[in-house]
Amino acid sequence: MAREFDHLFKLLIIGDSGVGKSCLLLRFADNTFSGSYITTIGVDFKIRTLEINGERVKLQIWDTAGQERFRTITSTYYRGTHGVIVVYDVTNGESFANVKRWLHEIEQNCDVVNKVLVGNKNDCPSRKVVVTEDAQRFANQMNIPLFETSAKENINVEEMFLTITKMVLRSKLEMKERQNVTSNDTVHLKKAHKTKKKCC
Amino acid sequence: MNHDEIKVVVQEKFLSSERVTALLCDAKVFHPEWVKKDRLLAIVEYGDEKAVFCLFSSCYPPKTFTDLSIEIILPIDNSFKCEIDNKPSDPEAILYLNLQSRLSKYKFEIQMTPRVDNFVDDLFRGIEAVNKIPTQPEFVWLKKYSVKNDDQTIAESIMLPKSNMHNTAPVAIRESLIKRKMSDKELEYTFTKNFTVFCGTWNVNDKSPVIPLKGWLSVDQEPPDIYAIGFQELDLSKETFLFDQTMREDEWYCAVLNYIDKRAKYIKVEKVRLVGMLLIVLIKEKHFQNVRNVICDTVGTGIMGKMGNKGGVAIRFDFHNTSICFVNSHLAAHVEEFERRNQDFRDICNRTRFVQIDQQPKSIKDHDHIYWLGDLNYRITEMDPITVKKLVSENNFKPVLEWDQLKQQHNNKNVFSGYTEGPITFKPTYKYDPGTDNWDSSEKHRAPAWCDRIFWKGDTITQLAYRSHPSLNISDHKPVSAIFSSRIKIIDEEKYRRVYEEVIKQLDKLENELIPQVKVDITEVDFGTVKYLELQVRTITIKNIGKLPVEFEFINKLDETQFCKEWLIVEPYKKCICADETCEIQLKVLINKTSACKMNAGTDKLYDILVLHLYGGKDIFITVNGTYQRSCFGCSIEVLVKLNMPIREVPVGKLIELENKRDQAVSNQSTYSIPKEIWFLVDHIYLHGLKEPNLFEQPGLHSEVLQIRDWLDSGSIDPIPGSIHSVAEALLLLLESTVDPIIPYNLQSICLKASANYLQCRQIIMELPEFRKNVFLYLCEFLQEALQHSSENGLDSKTLSTLFGAIFLRDNPNLVQEPQSRINKQIIDKKKAQFVYHFLVNDHSDLMFSR
Repeated sequence: MAREFDHLFKLLIIGDSGVGKSCLLLRFADNTFSGSYITTIGVDFKIRTLEINGERVKLQIWDTAGQERFRTITSTYYRGTHGVIVVYDVTNGESFANVKRWLHEIEQNCDVVNKVLVGNKNDCPSRKVVVTEDAQRFANQMNIPLFETSAKENINVEEMFLTITKMVLRSKLEMKERQNVTSNDTVHLKKAHKTKKKCC
Repeated sequence: MNHDEIKVVVQEKFLSSERVTALLCDAKVFHPEWVKKDRLLAIVEYGDEKAVFCLFSSCYPPKTFTDLSIEIILPIDNSFKCEIDNKPSDPEAILYLNLQSRLSKYKFEIQMTPRVDNFVDDLFRGIEAVNKIPTQPEFVWLKKYSVKNDDQTIAESIMLPKSNMHNTAPVAIRESLIKRKMSDKELEYTFTKNFTVFCGTWNVNDKSPVIPLKGWLSVDQEPPDIYAIGFQELDLSKETFLFDQTMREDEWYCAVLNYIDKRAKYIKVEKVRLVGMLLIVLIKEKHFQNVRNVICDTVGTGIMGKMGNKGGVAIRFDFHNTSICFVNSHLAAHVEEFERRNQDFRDICNRTRFVQIDQQPKSIKDHDHIYWLGDLNYRITEMDPITVKKLVSENNFKPVLEWDQLKQQHNNKNVFSGYTEGPITFKPTYKYDPGTDNWDSSEKHRAPAWCDRIFWKGDTITQLAYRSHPSLNISDHKPVSAIFSSRIKIIDEEKYRRVYEEVIKQLDKLENELIPQVKVDITEVDFGTVKYLELQVRTITIKNIGKLPVEFEFINKLDETQFCKEWLIVEPYKKCICADETCEIQLKVLINKTSACKMNAGTDKLYDILVLHLYGGKDIFITVNGTYQRSCFGCSIEVLVKLNMPIREVPVGKLIELENKRDQAVSNQSTYSIPKEIWFLVDHIYLHGLKEPNLFEQPGLHSEVLQIRDWLDSGSIDPIPGSIHSVAEALLLLLESTVDPIIPYNLQSICLKASANYLQCRQIIMELPEFRKNVFLYLCEFLQEALQHSSENGLDSKTLSTLFGAIFLRDNPNLVQEPQSRINKQIIDKKKAQFVYHFLVNDHSDLMFSR
């Protein structure tokens, strides 16, 4: 059958300005990297199609401006998001400290959503200040998978996006299943309702 | 608002003949894209018919029926299903209602209240009723409530680039692009392997399989991988011809299965029969898993060009990554009918259609490998039968074959163009006396002919054998067979996946490149210092760096009704730019009295973020900022009188504080009786301009007004710049710019009513707040003075009272006014003038400074 995709998911990349959100997207969608820093002034998106267990998943990945002054505007783009990628820079402790704020932002603007935590720029051990153990502890505490990536060296980027996509897909399939299960129960309950009526 | 009141509102949404019988509030609908907001569920009855409506209310509870919009309609008909279940974790409070009607299915979350019982009971009553009546209700009355389709409703609330996602056309393009690219790259993910194909054909002349077929089907060293066996004249009975029914199909099929090579296990790919033509395709069991898309078709070219006594049957399938087609045909008989046979061939080619779901139908030629076998019925002409028989008996076929119609027609490309036939090294297969190897001894004495032939088409096919099997002699034809070695393309799954992913990535890249892209030269527009009434313009340039035309528009931020602040003008705010072209957008800042008031009061500042949206693409944020230089224009009178220094020297915070507390009397602070700025301007005119012709009527110069503004704001000790007319205009502008008019808005109607009565007007003025009264009387006093010089300045009290009436009694811009008729407005203006007129002609010095 002619079909472009079985699932369409919207992913959102958030995090402080300069942590490499756009670079992660560029690496994942176009497999390119540009060393020159251009700050994102607005929201941009790219698409990428994946096949997971034989199902075609089309991702629409939104890259947001990280600057503080845009925060109220960017929060409006959280709507309808299936998965959020929260990015910090492993060479910048403040960006890691701000992760909590970003998670809070998600809570404020999304219902139930899958999340991954991403420590980007993990390609220069001497400059790394956010140690893996700390980040992992925090991630465990928040129950979010952690990935340390490098968009520049193409480390872990594909894996990270694949994981969040699988998480989103699993949530969707589980929800469908739940709906099926509940609708199986219903015949039963409907009868119960009727008998109750007779008793009264 | 209670339940019954809401029900009344909902009822208003429908005709009186359509009765709302039950209503549920607080229902939440489950929809992946819809906000889980409360909705109303109503059961509406019209005659015998009932339907469930889901309504969304723009405010809750709905005040009027216009607040309600119909989102879902579920007619209660035979297809209607209602299922209720409760949340396992919370059995008491929440119920889930699954409603299904026709093809729509919705799930609602509802609070368990006593009303739910009523609602559900009503629902089941409706279901029971509809199941009792024999005919399906038509629900004509529902048609007028046709609901917008889901996507539209969602699109309104969601900012997804719709054009990219819901269009169907690009899907088809993308699909076929993937196919095309994958077939272009076939060599990268396939390897080839040779398989042997056995093709056999036999015109059995209405005989049953009474002899073993081993000598035809199983004579080679190795069992073939594929068998394709064709029969003609399986059954010549009338029943077969007319009703296409025969026992012989099974007989011959069983015989074939019995006598094929027993060294390998075979499995049927397909068999197809049209009247007497039967084609059976078998494949080694171990290869069967690689066979896909098996389709067959039949074409009759017999009587009337349609009947199945002549024609062809065909089976196609994909084996690994090679498409294969087998055709078994029985072409027109009779020596002289070779043209007809050519035509039959063409008809079979043209009319065979392998129809597959969701794919373009394939014809015979659309296959990598084609094998065509059958009783093609071409004869030997121009050579007498005796010579033929003689040459054939000497195995000297070459001279005879020169007169073979098929060889001739094939050479002339009239038939089987592009096909190959192997060299014929066997005796003609027609026509024998059945049961013997003797040529036809009947009255007709038909000449021998190679009627039964096998052709192929395909680059990687090699014929290994082409022969007849004379020992099988029950028919007047001898069976023929050919063995081929065919190179089949096999997919390397690992490589295929890699290539496929690559292709997908390429297409994604293409799609990403087609997302609109623009470059904006400046995303932070700084206006620097912005002064009152001084227009400032900045230009930003948008360049379309994408491949397609792009349409941009500045869009509203969430919860805002305008895309930018009122002091900003953006031109154009929406436009289409072609690829590589640029568009200049002008941003203009103008602080007028409305925005100046807000700036002074600190409720607004010169800062805004604009959202530049590209249709089907990204959003760009453009930040606009500047510093507003505060001015006496746009302040309130109460604040101005408290300012004993030039406004520019007042700290911003202090000014904001004063504006916000302007109604509080500041006791122990020295205040002026009237704002010093008004006094400066009036005094200047009083001293220098009372005799100026056309005073207050001739406009000043805008540049001079701005200089006067700066003079006032900076507290300059230089003389007032500009002409008298500019000073007069600055005075009018200043009086107009105050936060409130001199006579407050709430008194306006009282003033207008009293306008005919001087004493009443006096009373109103006497009761004005002190500073306003001062300003009013001071100005009137000054105007009276000006009127003394009417012979020079040309003023008259009528003109002045009209001019100042409009200023003293300014209309409230925040009040939504009913459209005033022109006459009505004239009357109001006249009354305003009349009010002021009293104070221009009467002496009221007794009111002055009556502290």
